[in-house]
Amino acid sequence: MNKLLTMTAIGALLAMPAMADTLRVGVATAQTGGLAPYDAPVIEGVHIAVDEINAAGGIGGKTMIELIEKDVRSDAAQTSIAAQELVDAGVSILVLPCDADPSLAAIGIVASAEIPAISTCASSPTLPMIGGEYMFANFPGDNVQATVSATWAREQGYDSAYIIYSPDSQYTTMPLYFKEVFEKSGGTMLGEDTHSIGQQDFSAIATRIAGLAEQPDVIMTSSYEPDFPSMLKALRAAGVTSQIIGSDGIDSPTTFSLGDTGEGVVFTTAGHATEGSPLADFNAKYLAVTGNKSETVFNAVGYDLIKVIEAAVLAADGSTDPKALRNAIANLEGVQGATSTITYKGTDGMPVRQVALIRVKDAEREYLGSPSPDGSMIPAPRMQ
Amino acid sequence: MLTSPPRHLAVSLAGICTICVLAALIATGLGPASERVLTVFFISLIAVVGMGVYSGNSGILSFGHLSFMGIGAYISALLTLPAAMKAATLPKLPGWLAGTETGLLAAVAVAIMLTAIIALVIGFALNRLEGSAASIATLGLLIIVHGIIIGWRDVTRGSQSFFGVPRDTTLWTAALFCILALVVARLYRDSVSGLRLRAGRENAIAASAVGVRIRRERLIAWVLSAAIMALSGALIAHFLGAFSPKKFYFTDTFLLLSMLIVGGMSTVTGAITGAMVITIVTEVLRRLEGGFSVVGLEVPAVFGTTQIGIGLIILFAMFRKPEGLAGLKELEERFLPGHKIGATGKSIAAPTPRADQPPLKGDHLTMRFGGLVAVNDVSINVTPGEIVGLIGPNGSGKTTLLNMLSGVLSPTKGVVTRGDVVLTHAAPYEIANQGIARTFQNIRLFDGLTVYQNVLTAALSTLDGKRATERCETAIVAMGVSQFAGNDANTLSYGDQRRVEIARALACEPSLLFLDEPAAGMNREETDDLMATLQKLTGKLGLGVLIVDHDLKLINQLCDRIIVLNEGMLIAKGTPAEIRNNPAVIEAYLGHS
Repeated sequence: MNKLLTMTAIGALLAMPAMADTLRVGVATAQTGGLAPYDAPVIEGVHIAVDEINAAGGIGGKTMIELIEKDVRSDAAQTSIAAQELVDAGVSILVLPCDADPSLAAIGIVASAEIPAISTCASSPTLPMIGGEYMFANFPGDNVQATVSATWAREQGYDSAYIIYSPDSQYTTMPLYFKEVFEKSGGTMLGEDTHSIGQQDFSAIATRIAGLAEQPDVIMTSSYEPDFPSMLKALRAAGVTSQIIGSDGIDSPTTFSLGDTGEGVVFTTAGHATEGSPLADFNAKYLAVTGNKSETVFNAVGYDLIKVIEAAVLAADGSTDPKALRNAIANLEGVQGATSTITYKGTDGMPVRQVALIRVKDAEREYLGSPSPDGSMIPAPRMQ
Repeated sequence: MLTSPPRHLAVSLAGICTICVLAALIATGLGPASERVLTVFFISLIAVVGMGVYSGNSGILSFGHLSFMGIGAYISALLTLPAAMKAATLPKLPGWLAGTETGLLAAVAVAIMLTAIIALVIGFALNRLEGSAASIATLGLLIIVHGIIIGWRDVTRGSQSFFGVPRDTTLWTAALFCILALVVARLYRDSVSGLRLRAGRENAIAASAVGVRIRRERLIAWVLSAAIMALSGALIAHFLGAFSPKKFYFTDTFLLLSMLIVGGMSTVTGAITGAMVITIVTEVLRRLEGGFSVVGLEVPAVFGTTQIGIGLIILFAMFRKPEGLAGLKELEERFLPGHKIGATGKSIAAPTPRADQPPLKGDHLTMRFGGLVAVNDVSINVTPGEIVGLIGPNGSGKTTLLNMLSGVLSPTKGVVTRGDVVLTHAAPYEIANQGIARTFQNIRLFDGLTVYQNVLTAALSTLDGKRATERCETAIVAMGVSQFAGNDANTLSYGDQRRVEIARALACEPSLLFLDEPAAGMNREETDDLMATLQKLTGKLGLGVLIVDHDLKLINQLCDRIIVLNEGMLIAKGTPAEIRNNPAVIEAYLGHS
């Protein structure tokens, strides 16, 4: 009798996961290393959204979300290992790190396991392009961001530009998209420079630009910490006064704490908390949960990610089947996230989302607007 | 030729195969997650054992071996990457490479060969460095190769992920290659080259003096270990399917080195032990990293636990087991008896005399160390068949003179010749091959090796290794240390260690033998015993002996001629009787009366 009871108990335990309505989400993100400044805040947002949904009884009141988290140390090989382990653990959906490069390391696994994967905040449009039909992004694409910032620059009357980029990652080549749009809209490029990620010393580049016969109106870069602050300081120290345009990678507290050097820098990012906006609501929620003010939009981006997953499960009628979820994500339209509405329908996995332009003014955010880019100006995604 | 008892190797190789196959079978039964953990384990073990082939046998810790792993990974991945993927991600690849698409085995073979060639070139430069300088240079190698991989963007995608590599490394592929790597490493350790290299690790000066060309052996081990690393790199590339230069840099160097150090560098057993301990600990810690709950107690996620854990294990291992968990011996060496002399029932042949050898001449030898003149214009010759005593007070230059004659030191002035051959600047291993062998004032045995291996090293490294076993066993029997043949040299008493050192010199079948204070630390009985042995040897073999000692009774009874040095200068020479009555000698020893 005892034996029978034990067997029944074991049987019940084994059957549990299958019976309960639980969505297993495998989270392989960079909690340490170079991408941690982005993935760490994203995961905070993810937790807020998951706790909120589970507290309300799960997605649609019945499907609870279970997160299985791994740190991939900002490393391609680790991402591949972690993704494989999560697939082995039977997850229905994967969350991958904030950059196309480590995320691409998982494409073989994602494709063969046929499990949808969403990168937390990779913005390279090449990720879903190369990653295949199971790979999705959760951020405005590099080509879209570059179109918004180049168009803005032309509208301000800036005629000449210079770009500084790093061929070390897909993301840091965003200035090449900027160059394309800037020239297409009648601007003149005065030159370009490359650097390595983690280079730190930008005095040579700064001296070269300061020595140009004609100073560029705009200098565009998508470099991020710790390169961007050093680059900016070197440029200003060399006497370069051009308008600096950056991208979402510098949407971090550091950029607002650079004092006079940082003043006037303009960058594109995933959204801005105007009065009464969903992002303002999210920030209030973040303050209530963590006791701190949200200092980067990446918190909200994490919240968006779970909102997308929630919408996909609902669209798939509560199914947690990976294929059903993949098809549901690909057809999502107008999902209300914390930063913007998000649409995957009609894209190859790079969502249509709002791009906000922010200027650093008095160490605070000045909202310059969220212009919708002209579709004909957006460059085609490419490996570069 | 292999230098350890065949039974040892048979047990060891059978053990390696059994363990690997059993582990693979168990993992297959446990499911895909375990299979993958074990696959990574096998690949790491290949790398650890590869590092061990060089670092363990040579004693030079290399921080640079991951660069060979990286080179192997990139070369093999470039070969197997589907052409369509190459076109998309590496548009600037040279045409011939862009169109190439080979299978895993071909790619592994090419990767191993190219890496070995690269290692050979690097090895020629690196080999000129010794000890910690060599270690630091390997660190430079790691950084340079990392820099090249990042900089060569057209071929490697720079620091971006190299992805899309076919994931062809299965558990059984890894298991079979792992067995192969372990067997190669184990056989190399007990090959002639491996034994010589280990002798050089234990005592470089003594190894050179018995004919070992340490640099050549190091180069062999370096290239072989690089080839094994390339195998490991190729397998990990085709297991992960994606990697970046970071995979072959400091973090993994630290991880694999910790396996090597924790387990014990010098044995294959150590590599297996270390890889097992570190893999188990990292797997456990990595799973706990994401947070866990123990009976209701929630432990939050702490990322980075793994590195801290490995660091602690290394500290623990260094405190409790500085040689590594497995120590200096292979597992079977602990349980099976070592070499036995005459175990085969063969009678031991008497040493062959080497007659008609020209004398060794040192003409006007001077040695200056900075301002100090250690030996000043001393001429000396030693002829086979005679015993020459070299005496003098402490600091009179006896050992310096011996070092010049045996190639350990190069004289500042003067010429050393043997017949027509000039040996003035010859390396010690060349001197050894001129039929000149020596012992040292401070015993220089290969401590971690057995008595048999000590002597065998010398036999194998002189006379092109001909009749090595015979020469080795004859020498051991001649010096009466055959009962210790299987014991480690450092476990013997002082007197026996002296005898082993002489046996080792005799195994070179020299025509001249230099003995630097052979009776030091021996009691009267042992000294008399030694004297009898030496007299027998010179009589029977026609061996010439140059002996330095403070025991004047020994010198007087044993020597045909005596040379006396004082303050670097030759003050007297002649028969023992003449020397005893020489006033200069009396003054030098006793001072002014």
